[in-house]
Amino acid sequence: MKILFFTGKGGVGKSTMSAAMARQLSQQYRILIVSLDPAHNLGDIFGVALNHKKHRFTDSLYLKEINLQKLCRDYLQRETRVLTDTYRYLQTINLDNYFSVLKYSPGIEEYALLTSIEETLRSENDFDYIVFDTPPTGLTLRFLALPWITVTWIDRLIQIRRDILEKRHTIYRIRGVLDDKETILSYDEDDDDILKRLKKLKGNYQTLSSILQGEDCGIVLVYNPDTLSLKESKRLIDGLYELKLPLRLLINNKIQQKYTAMADHVDSAMRTLAPAIPIQRVAFSEALLDGQNSTLYDIEETLLSPFEMK
Amino acid sequence: MISSLYRRVRRFLTNIDATHRQKAAALTVVEMEELENIFALLLMGSFTGLPSPPTFLAVELLPFMERELRILCKRAESCNDMLAEMCGTIGID
Repeated sequence: MKILFFTGKGGVGKSTMSAAMARQLSQQYRILIVSLDPAHNLGDIFGVALNHKKHRFTDSLYLKEINLQKLCRDYLQRETRVLTDTYRYLQTINLDNYFSVLKYSPGIEEYALLTSIEETLRSENDFDYIVFDTPPTGLTLRFLALPWITVTWIDRLIQIRRDILEKRHTIYRIRGVLDDKETILSYDEDDDDILKRLKKLKGNYQTLSSILQGEDCGIVLVYNPDTLSLKESKRLIDGLYELKLPLRLLINNKIQQKYTAMADHVDSAMRTLAPAIPIQRVAFSEALLDGQNSTLYDIEETLLSPFEMK
Repeated sequence: MISSLYRRVRRFLTNIDATHRQKAAALTVVEMEELENIFALLLMGSFTGLPSPPTFLAVELLPFMERELRILCKRAESCNDMLAEMCGTIGID
């Protein structure tokens, strides 16, 4: 299964390009296109109401919009349940519901997005391609960086935790149990809940990291022939390079006849920034402006998957 | 009479043994508590304005962190006079 992430500055046409490529690839392959952008317009592009469920558009093309709010709510509810179970005695004095304030924790959106990617990759493995339409650059880079940042933190925390357990073991060996009332602190790696949880999380994130950095994953960068778009694309390319994520295709979208010189200039700058990455050009669609009855996912150009270009 | 004396001597010796074992482990106990304090501080760094790991990591581990958080609070209370604390630990009067 191949995975494609469409990224770029807000408004450059990531959703349209991802929809167009998904539609074209679906002539040959089974495709699932997933919108991770909280401001969804995948349904608008295909002219269907999606309701956050997987929708069959054709036999080989399925559409899905992720409900970010629901994901955040579910995750925090799960955590609140664990916490409430741990402090079950608070139920006797009706204080357990105060943990519900956790739902306002910042930084949960990125985690929820990443979780939704992980779940999609795990559960939807009967597709040939999964195409992700991502939110604008800032949020995309933050959630793509999350596995790497998290594994770095987890490694450090595991190390400290192991040191703590080693000390506990030493203390137990020297001191033993002094009286019956003393609680023996867990010193075995398999008995320590925190270490077990950390190891499980590390496993999940390492798997996800290796998928995202692997041969079957590709980032498609969409940009417009203008200076702002070029500058943001440069930041994105730097970010992807730092995170070792494989940029595989550049799409210069919304090219107009009268501005081809600018398009050439931006493309040549992109070639310097990302040498050896193929560039595809897509013309600005006049049909969008003059109100013609046109399906947004239908574009004249043939968009090749970067995996086909090999 | 003899058995009572035997019990007392035995308890006395047991207490001496326990005291010695406790003394021998005292410094390691302090080290362990400091490590637990550091662990909690790193994970919940945002409480004190430190750079913190992704929020969800703290949320994931929060249910198991009761002991560490208690030590964190204890340390916060005693950190006014850390020098005296350390001197006490290593036996300088």
